[in-house]
Amino acid sequence: MMRWCLSFFLFGFLAVVNALSSSGNRLLVVLEDASEQSNYSTFWEDLKARGYDIAFESPKNDKLSLFELGERAYDHLLLLPPKSKGFGPSLSPKNIVDFLNKDGNVLLALSGKSTTPSAISSLLLELDLHLSTDRSSIVVDHFNYDTISAAEKHDVLLLQRPGQLRPDTKSYFDGEGVLALPRVAPHTLGDNILIAPILRAPATAYSYNPKEENAAIEDIAATGSQLALVSTLQTRSSSRFTLLGSVESLQDKWFTATVKAPGSGKETTTVNQEFAKQLTAWTFKETGVLKVGKIEHHLAQDEITAQDLNPTIYRVKNETVFSIEVSEYSYDKFVPFELPADDALQLEFTMLSPFHRLKLKPAYHTENSTVFRTQFTVPDQHGIFSFRVNYKRPFLTNIEEKHEVTVRHFAHNEFARSWKISGAWVWIAGLWSVIGGFMAFVAVWLYSEPTSAKVKKNQ
Amino acid sequence: MQLWHSLLQLSVLASTALPTAAAASAWGYTDATVSVHTKGAGVGASFKKVIPDNKALSKPVSLGSADTLKVTLTAQEGRTAKRAHQVFLFLQDPETGLDIAYPFSVKENGKSRIELTQKDLPVQFLSVSEPLDARLLIGSFGEADAYDGTAFKLTVARNPNEPVPTLEVSRYGKLPEIHHIFKTDAQSPPLVITLVFLALVLAALPVLGGVWLVLGVNLNHLPTAFKSAPLPHAVFLGSLFAIQGIFFLYYTSWNLFQVLPAVAVAGTVAFISGSRALGEVQGRRLAGLR
Repeated sequence: MMRWCLSFFLFGFLAVVNALSSSGNRLLVVLEDASEQSNYSTFWEDLKARGYDIAFESPKNDKLSLFELGERAYDHLLLLPPKSKGFGPSLSPKNIVDFLNKDGNVLLALSGKSTTPSAISSLLLELDLHLSTDRSSIVVDHFNYDTISAAEKHDVLLLQRPGQLRPDTKSYFDGEGVLALPRVAPHTLGDNILIAPILRAPATAYSYNPKEENAAIEDIAATGSQLALVSTLQTRSSSRFTLLGSVESLQDKWFTATVKAPGSGKETTTVNQEFAKQLTAWTFKETGVLKVGKIEHHLAQDEITAQDLNPTIYRVKNETVFSIEVSEYSYDKFVPFELPADDALQLEFTMLSPFHRLKLKPAYHTENSTVFRTQFTVPDQHGIFSFRVNYKRPFLTNIEEKHEVTVRHFAHNEFARSWKISGAWVWIAGLWSVIGGFMAFVAVWLYSEPTSAKVKKNQ
Repeated sequence: MQLWHSLLQLSVLASTALPTAAAASAWGYTDATVSVHTKGAGVGASFKKVIPDNKALSKPVSLGSADTLKVTLTAQEGRTAKRAHQVFLFLQDPETGLDIAYPFSVKENGKSRIELTQKDLPVQFLSVSEPLDARLLIGSFGEADAYDGTAFKLTVARNPNEPVPTLEVSRYGKLPEIHHIFKTDAQSPPLVITLVFLALVLAALPVLGGVWLVLGVNLNHLPTAFKSAPLPHAVFLGSLFAIQGIFFLYYTSWNLFQVLPAVAVAGTVAFISGSRALGEVQGRRLAGLR
């Protein structure tokens, strides 16, 4: 405890110097048993070194509240699994969902050592994450376990760090090395667009309830990669929720454990510390946070003055240029945003439905942003249109930009003149020949001598 | 990610499989058979094959929509039949890496059996083009190495007349590009046709002039008129031409506010000079010249 206090002061100073998360540094750690705090000392020190102001609270504390005068009292919430039936009234599922709705970020760790309380299960159900019905299953894999610490029970999983979720997503959790996840409480994912798995169980893994006597597994809900070990949910307002199946993987013991896979595997040190950093950094918005800078649109012409920028009205068939500046937060600073290889930042030119949906291509970089740009012809339909950039991807905060412009028709003097239209020549010639004929007729009527009168006279 | 995972899995397994074969304590199976029984068909109609111990069948097994796949085996650790904690039939789509495992019902003596129909398969497996990999996973707690090996290939036979069930999932990602299709511009007829009609229209003037000449049109009174009232005639004709000129300017460049005063001026001049000029014309009529 003394040592921890000392390190608190040390890192308190560092925190001032060091950079912070993009969305605040007040972190509440809910820990039921204060004596367990020392098991995670390296983890706390890492967080403090990154600038977090950690408050440890017991869920039994009556004065504990996530909100103060209706506003969030903390920016981030780290929940360690409770031993009792739940987190109590101040951390009810509703309060935690409210916290998420108010842009707070939550990291919830579970443990396979004890039964998960039904309060947590109902919180996860709100988020479409499902625990097994008995809530006390753990994942075992007879192919990828640590032979040093779990030679008999096979409940310490050895996994590679996850790569890309899909070819078109960024990976914030990859890297070399082996992860050790002891006694994981698995979950399955609902079909929800907001959910993205970080780490799935190996294909040969399955879950079982260790309390049930040695009966062979015959009835199971999910196996293999259907079992998720670490998953995330990002709300529509970009607040983040991460579910970590194994709280033990954050302990000092496992940050530096030596593990060995079955077979001819070599002994290696785990990379849990690095993974814990990636996981907390993502959850607490140090990575994967996008910021939109300048948005400009104008007619495609060589010289652009300030007045030509962002006009409120365009004409049909105008050549138009649209550009958007995007930066990405990476641990302590904004850097130029790079698109994943298979992905595209798309611009929609919309009236009710998109008329154009075009790829925005990176035009140039500034020190901490990338400017994406495209050029297109305004559709031949007048009305109220909007430039929309709707960029929602797993692991990235949402970009939703909408800029309204009027698209007008050709003015009467903007059409091509009639003599330029070859089909109109006949009518133009008809008009002027009538005028010419009329002028000739006037002259003839004024000055012509009647021939019939002559004939009459001569007779 | 799934594919990535399973590839990793395979590579790990490939590296572990060789030494485990030699190890004394390893899980395996014996007396394994795979059979497919079609519902409603006779007893002899079913397909049955023996899977060689710890090896794969060479030919794929076909599972129709009314069929039941049955796999039986005896799990053994080393050479002794024993109950294993995990006896799974593991199916994987080689293309996407999607996997699912079905547990066998296992007896105390290691005898295990499983029955599977198309209804048990996930929807995604009903529309695969390649045969599924069917593997057997046998493992349990303790020291003995677990077994993971291909048993056979499973072809999911579909009735081509039945629609394949599909699953709609929505995921955030890039959407297909849209390029607005513009209406085609207004078209003029071929130039030749225009020129023919243009010539016809313009030919009307010479034809009119010709007809007038035949009828004996002349300008014989012009000197008389200009002698008796030179100014009104010149100004009247001039103002008429000026009005047409103003109309021409309106057509090419002027706007209505430029045209109206100009026409008002020219019109007034035409009215005043015209009454004089027409008075002269009346004089000629009264003189019997017209």
